[in-house]
Amino acid sequence: MGRKILLVEDDRETAAYLAKGLSQEGHSVEQAVNGQDGLFRATDGTFDLVILDRMLPVLDGLSVLKALRAARIETPVLILSALASVGDRIEGLEQGSDDYLVKPFSFAELLARVNALLRRRESRLDPAEHRLTVGDLEIDPLSRTVKRGGKKLDLKPREYLLLEYFARNEGRVVTRTMLLEQVWDYHFDPGTNVIDVHVSRLRRKLEDGFDKPLLHTVRGAGYMLAA
Amino acid sequence: MPTTLRIALLAGLLALLSNIAVIGFIYWRTHDEALSTMRRQVVEQGKVLSDVYRLGGKAALDDAVEDTIAYGDPQTVAALLNRNGRQVMGNLGGVPVSGGGLQEGYRNALLRLRGQTTAREAALVVHRLPNGQWLVSGRTVGDGLALRETLERSLLIGLIFAGLLGLVCGLILAQYVGRRVGNIAAVANRISARDLSQRISLTGTGDAFDRLSQQINAMLDRISGLMEELRLLTDSLAHDLRTPVSRLRAAAYAATETEDPAEQEELLTRVIRQADSLMRILSAVLEIGRSEALTGRNQFTWFDARELGAKLAEMYEPLAEEAGATLRYDLPSYPLPMFGHRQLLSQAISNLIENAIRYGLAGGEIRVAVSRADGRIRIAVSDRGPGIPSELRAEARRRFGRLDSSRSDEGAGLGLALAEAIAHLHDGELLLEDNEPGLVAAVELPLRRDSAEEVPLSLR
Repeated sequence: MGRKILLVEDDRETAAYLAKGLSQEGHSVEQAVNGQDGLFRATDGTFDLVILDRMLPVLDGLSVLKALRAARIETPVLILSALASVGDRIEGLEQGSDDYLVKPFSFAELLARVNALLRRRESRLDPAEHRLTVGDLEIDPLSRTVKRGGKKLDLKPREYLLLEYFARNEGRVVTRTMLLEQVWDYHFDPGTNVIDVHVSRLRRKLEDGFDKPLLHTVRGAGYMLAA
Repeated sequence: MPTTLRIALLAGLLALLSNIAVIGFIYWRTHDEALSTMRRQVVEQGKVLSDVYRLGGKAALDDAVEDTIAYGDPQTVAALLNRNGRQVMGNLGGVPVSGGGLQEGYRNALLRLRGQTTAREAALVVHRLPNGQWLVSGRTVGDGLALRETLERSLLIGLIFAGLLGLVCGLILAQYVGRRVGNIAAVANRISARDLSQRISLTGTGDAFDRLSQQINAMLDRISGLMEELRLLTDSLAHDLRTPVSRLRAAAYAATETEDPAEQEELLTRVIRQADSLMRILSAVLEIGRSEALTGRNQFTWFDARELGAKLAEMYEPLAEEAGATLRYDLPSYPLPMFGHRQLLSQAISNLIENAIRYGLAGGEIRVAVSRADGRIRIAVSDRGPGIPSELRAEARRRFGRLDSSRSDEGAGLGLALAEAIAHLHDGELLLEDNEPGLVAAVELPLRRDSAEEVPLSLR
């Protein structure tokens, strides 16, 4: 289902590349090349998502974000930035952005985050689901119990959080960085395959003794939970 | 030199002011002293005369007044006045005592004695006798005044001398200060002209100027050190980026050459991986620079150091297991509240754990310990690997310092440098110790006692 996305990016090459990719995914993309123009269009409030570069001519990204939030426009904002330090990322999130992506990034990473943000907007409109189901997998967030095919699975607390995050993004790609940020709340890159090890342990617990795989590896992007 | 002149004038002025204060005090005290002595004498004399009247009557008093005038010193005042204030007998020069009529008691007044041409200051006692007459007795200020005038003149001359002396002292002082400051300024000038090896020479007295010079010299040492470090860093950055960049270039070139789509895809994946590892190196260098510059302190928050250690140990436990090691935690049973950058500290400790997994011996034990002692929080990661000999530990901390050049595949040699920079951000340090066998890498951080913010309730 296509959505309306505002892309505020002054680098034409990046903007064209992102706009093309997002359009191919079925979204309609509007573009602005400076902060002032971006703010002007975003205040319209009809967008489902704003992708905002941090360093922009006329008005920088964080100022645009601040102005938007001050005007009580709660459209999800994804910040793009070449400022890669942990402090910069945290600053961006503290200013009210919903996600923060450091340049250079792969399109798969951006798309995964865009989908997660759009999805979050949907579920924000819906009241929270009491029970998550993916195929024959049942997750009860209240008691934190997981069953597959009626059989209870024994998960460690962190494995449960990992699975719940996957389930809330069912059918969508989740990247390693997203897992690190959302499940562990770490905003740095450990540079090892530590996340892969956790995912493969979770996969073993989910799939051992069952024929149908649930947790899929998406090459060059990350993982996806799907029946 | 206007500054020298200003200092001299200031010193002169200060000397003058302090002398005025001292001399004024002396003047005030002696003046006061003289007056009170005179007052005592005058009151005494008046009392004697009125006693004479009480005991011997009018005739005796007349005699006593006459005697007093005749035999007393020339400053003595003695007179009998009638009811209307006219002199019946005495040595007043015809001038009534003062305007406004007569009143009993002690007073100071200006008056002229008989045979004198100028009025002088006098201290008087006036009594009213029972017969209605007035008895006036007292003393004019004579020799006392002369003495005081001499004193006052000397004091004034002293004051002028003091001012001049102060000015001279000020000039000497200003010359001295100017010369010492001039030396420092000259060295600073030569340093600005790009000779950073210049240092200010010390006089060896350890005075304030020496201490200032020492501080400046220490600052210059630090700046030279930083510049040298920066030069080394730029060199090693250029050197260390050359390898991944040339690998990336080779893979990209090979991808354009090949016809086989499967091989092409594999080569392009390698290009992306190389680009990612380049980005990681740049991020780490950036993060080290930021931490050393102490930016990010505004993002400090309260958190539980025990929980930080536990969460990281839990995260790396499976990875250690895959590598054939056992990861154990050694955590206190109570929370260890600390104020710091949770994300960066987590990153520092994760670097230490990754090093332990990478270099610790397979089958060995990796221990993550969090403890508090002597007002410091210590987060230590120990392994059972080959360790680092003490002579190589400085090299290990250095950016891009790699002990084993054959292992060029893993890491860029920034892990320990980053951990150290993050420890410095928290006023702490990174310690490398011997685990006999193995390495203990520990971050020790001082607890903030000066923090205005209180430990939040949730961490107590």
